[in-house]
Amino acid sequence: MTFLLESGYAFWNPLIWIIVFIVIMIVVYFFRRRGQKGYKKDTDQARIFLCGEEVPEAGERHIRVGNIYWGFFETLKEYYNQILRPHTGIINDYILWFVAITAISVIVLLVAGLG
Amino acid sequence: MAELITHSPILIIAIPLLAAFLTPLIGMASQKARNAFVVGSLVFVTFLVFALARDISFNGIHVYTLGAASPDLSIPTGFMVPVRIILEVDGMSAFFGIIWAIVSLAAAIYSLSHIASETGQTRFYTLLLLMVTGGFGMMFTGDLFNLFVFLEIASISGAALIAYRTKFADTQEGGFKYIVVSAIASLMVLFAIGLLYAQYNSLNIAYLAQVIQYTTLDKIALAMFLIAFAMKTGMVPLHLWFPDAYSVAPASITGMLVITSHACMYAAFRICFTLYGGVINAPVVGWIIIIFGLLTMFVGVTMAVYQKDVMRFMSYHAVSQLGYMWIGVGVGLAVLGNAELIATYGRDAMSGGIFHILNHAMYKPLLFFTGGALFHYTGTRDLTKMGGLAHKMKWTTILYIIGTLSISGIPPLNGFSSKILIYESVYQFHPILTITGIIVSILTLASFTKAFHSAFMGAELPEYKGGKEVPRSMIIGMVILAAGIVFVTLFPSLVVDWAIHPAADALIDQGAYINAVTGAIP
Repeated sequence: MTFLLESGYAFWNPLIWIIVFIVIMIVVYFFRRRGQKGYKKDTDQARIFLCGEEVPEAGERHIRVGNIYWGFFETLKEYYNQILRPHTGIINDYILWFVAITAISVIVLLVAGLG
Repeated sequence: MAELITHSPILIIAIPLLAAFLTPLIGMASQKARNAFVVGSLVFVTFLVFALARDISFNGIHVYTLGAASPDLSIPTGFMVPVRIILEVDGMSAFFGIIWAIVSLAAAIYSLSHIASETGQTRFYTLLLLMVTGGFGMMFTGDLFNLFVFLEIASISGAALIAYRTKFADTQEGGFKYIVVSAIASLMVLFAIGLLYAQYNSLNIAYLAQVIQYTTLDKIALAMFLIAFAMKTGMVPLHLWFPDAYSVAPASITGMLVITSHACMYAAFRICFTLYGGVINAPVVGWIIIIFGLLTMFVGVTMAVYQKDVMRFMSYHAVSQLGYMWIGVGVGLAVLGNAELIATYGRDAMSGGIFHILNHAMYKPLLFFTGGALFHYTGTRDLTKMGGLAHKMKWTTILYIIGTLSISGIPPLNGFSSKILIYESVYQFHPILTITGIIVSILTLASFTKAFHSAFMGAELPEYKGGKEVPRSMIIGMVILAAGIVFVTLFPSLVVDWAIHPAADALIDQGAYINAVTGAIP
């Protein structure tokens, strides 16, 4: 069967997932159909309400990329300090890494051959 | 038709090469004719690649000897060794050829609108076709020196294409870095070839595979080959140039550059499995690849999640995904000498790694193309300046979601199919590989969600209110790749049986590759 992928230990059939996905979509659509019918687009019904406060402009209330996952970066600050260090942008450094890794690989292969 | 398939290995290389030199002439007459000629050439080449791959699946390895009375006469009468330039196309070469053909075609169609406002378009298409030639040459050649020549063709044209948009200063820097790194890598490859030629008086891969002794010089050559190709693929810690160069190229070219990285990965596999397969210290080299693969996955994704430039973000993810492929194939290499372990999980791990190459070749160029679409619309790569773009870029949004779900390995998308093959097989080798893979997948999804929210979600920003979705040819280029994703998603077994297993078996079965050229010659 062309839909069935056997990994050697288990199997994977995307068709089952697609059927499940379609069923979930139908259920979601069913609940959505039962929603408020009186909704009118582009009227006060669709305006943002912030307890009477003034709503900021679209650009000001959009959460920008720099503010997402702040806690993640703060926690891993030390890791990022270390990992950013080799990313100098200088081509000489890049080539130095290449020479070093080549040398290490040669040594490993030669030493491994001695055993 | 039979004659066409017989000559297809050389035609697939020669047609884009000839088309590259004809493009400036046709471009002088008409831009539309030039565009049609470029796309038409690539459509025909794609057809040839599929016809050749189909023939290989029925009739086995294709050997094409240049200059011989008959293309299959690999060893001239009176000789004991192959002396002519030989193209050798097996399941692995055909697999990479299919990927290269599809992505090149999608990139050319995408470019029609993407670079429509740029000057020097004829030069762009000429270089694009030269790059296609270089890629196919690397994948089909059975000769080490030609591997170097085609690597150079792909690298030089790639560097020129990265620097194509001369109005941006960073493109010049990116092109410069790419050419320096490529030149150093190519020189190392040439030096390694010289070491082998000095000892064995031949450049033919199949013949060398038969006579290689694994001397000290051979080991030095192996390290040079491996690290030079690893640097070209962006393996950590040799990836530092990768985002600098890939993020500044036109998006269509970035998509193609990803596949040139795959071509270098192919070359590394060919060297390890075919050239050195009979003598290599497989566990040591396998572990070297696995350790660097782990680093590549983890460092790539953690750097990606940190980025604010959409194309650098995509570039680091390309680095990270390459780690999965290195690990899958690395595990296969580490157990290469043990037939039982190869049968138990080695072949599955290699199949997973190779399958991931195919999937990556679909979703990564697609994601780069969506990044290019964002740049086309907003005029910036800076995610901090974007927002609410889903209101106007509906096609791009849907295609970005498809790419995101696929790269993150979310079922039922194709990325999941290859990742589950890798996870289940490499777990048998060492559980830490699977655990790292899953963590990297989670971070991948998290970072793409972050970029999705930043660029597409939210209210429509005033500065982008008047814009329109990107032109149709850009959409078509992206849809071709998305269609590939959908196809592989629906028929994973068909793809694995027809393309992936033959490719993995071609790597494992070194004898078949050697015999196709040298036959029974000792």
